[in-house]
Amino acid sequence: MKSINTNSKCRRIRAWLYEAVSSRFGADADWVKKHIVNCPRCRRRLDLVGKVNLALSIVKSQPHKLDLLMRANTQTIGVLKHSLRRAPKARKLRTMLPEPKLLERWGKYRCSAANLAACIAILFLMKIGVFSSMNEFQTRGQKVIRQYYTSQVGEDLADEVFAKDTQRPSSANSRGVFTA
Amino acid sequence: MFGKAVSYGLLWDFAVSESVGESQRWILSAMQSHGQELVTMLWRILGNEQDACDAYQDTFLQLAHYEGGRKPEHIKAYIFRVANNVAISMLRRRIAEKKRVSTAVVARKDVSSPAKELDSKYLQETLRCCIARLPEHLRNVITLRDLAGLSYAQIGRILGISAATARVYRCKAIQLLTVWMGKEEKDNEKYKYE
Repeated sequence: MKSINTNSKCRRIRAWLYEAVSSRFGADADWVKKHIVNCPRCRRRLDLVGKVNLALSIVKSQPHKLDLLMRANTQTIGVLKHSLRRAPKARKLRTMLPEPKLLERWGKYRCSAANLAACIAILFLMKIGVFSSMNEFQTRGQKVIRQYYTSQVGEDLADEVFAKDTQRPSSANSRGVFTA
Repeated sequence: MFGKAVSYGLLWDFAVSESVGESQRWILSAMQSHGQELVTMLWRILGNEQDACDAYQDTFLQLAHYEGGRKPEHIKAYIFRVANNVAISMLRRRIAEKKRVSTAVVARKDVSSPAKELDSKYLQETLRCCIARLPEHLRNVITLRDLAGLSYAQIGRILGISAATARVYRCKAIQLLTVWMGKEEKDNEKYKYE
């Protein structure tokens, strides 16, 4: 338990440190920006980093034909063993088309899921609120009635009547009937 | 008598190969579960559909012949590493071929035009050349992270390093790529003024 706490603390400290360092020494820090404006070497270096990132994005954004996976599978299965080529899975692979990942597929429902979660949270909070106010009403009502009994029959008897939960008053017999 | 022995031998060979084939169904399962990611990575490394298909085929053939048809312990790691190596070898061969075919003068003239410099194809080719020149440990990380789109944790598992080390390697790779791409640009500018 202690180690788990220490680990989470370490993680939190690391996150704070990262935030602090990146806010003071990151590329978005004011003094870095000011330096870059006046330094041609740094400007060139940043420019080149941007160029590498741009090239990587271009490579990633180039689409291939939809049937590339199908063709690659067909070509590969063609050189595998005969028994593998005849397998039912091989037939399926020959006609396989790329499918979006599960996260991408369910990504469109992200907003609805968030809304639903928020509604459930609100309902839960409302339920907690209603129950706690009902409890409060009950306690207050009990207090008022006790006060009434105290003023009418005296404090001792009121104490016995409103003794904790179902505790029988000391003046009651085994059947729960008060005796003089 | 001899003919009978030969036919028995052939029958035995056939039976053995069939049983090995039956036991290698996991290759098809691997193809089904990792094929899509692999094709995407190969396409991004090579930028040519036929080359990507060839590299894919080579990868699975190597997998089928791994230690006499045995199943590797970590199939995903094996497939991605082999595919990466095959693709980079093909890329290097292609670059060498291109250099040999086109004379230096023609190539430089082609590059020096400002319109070409902005051309995305030129950028992609330069990047691919630079990636092929990277040391193996840095190259593996950059291809798996940026071209295959894997997470650092997955890369760590595939390459047998920690996620933090993978992060450092990627940073180093980007630095090297920056320097090399800058150098290429400088060379082009020099040529322009000459």
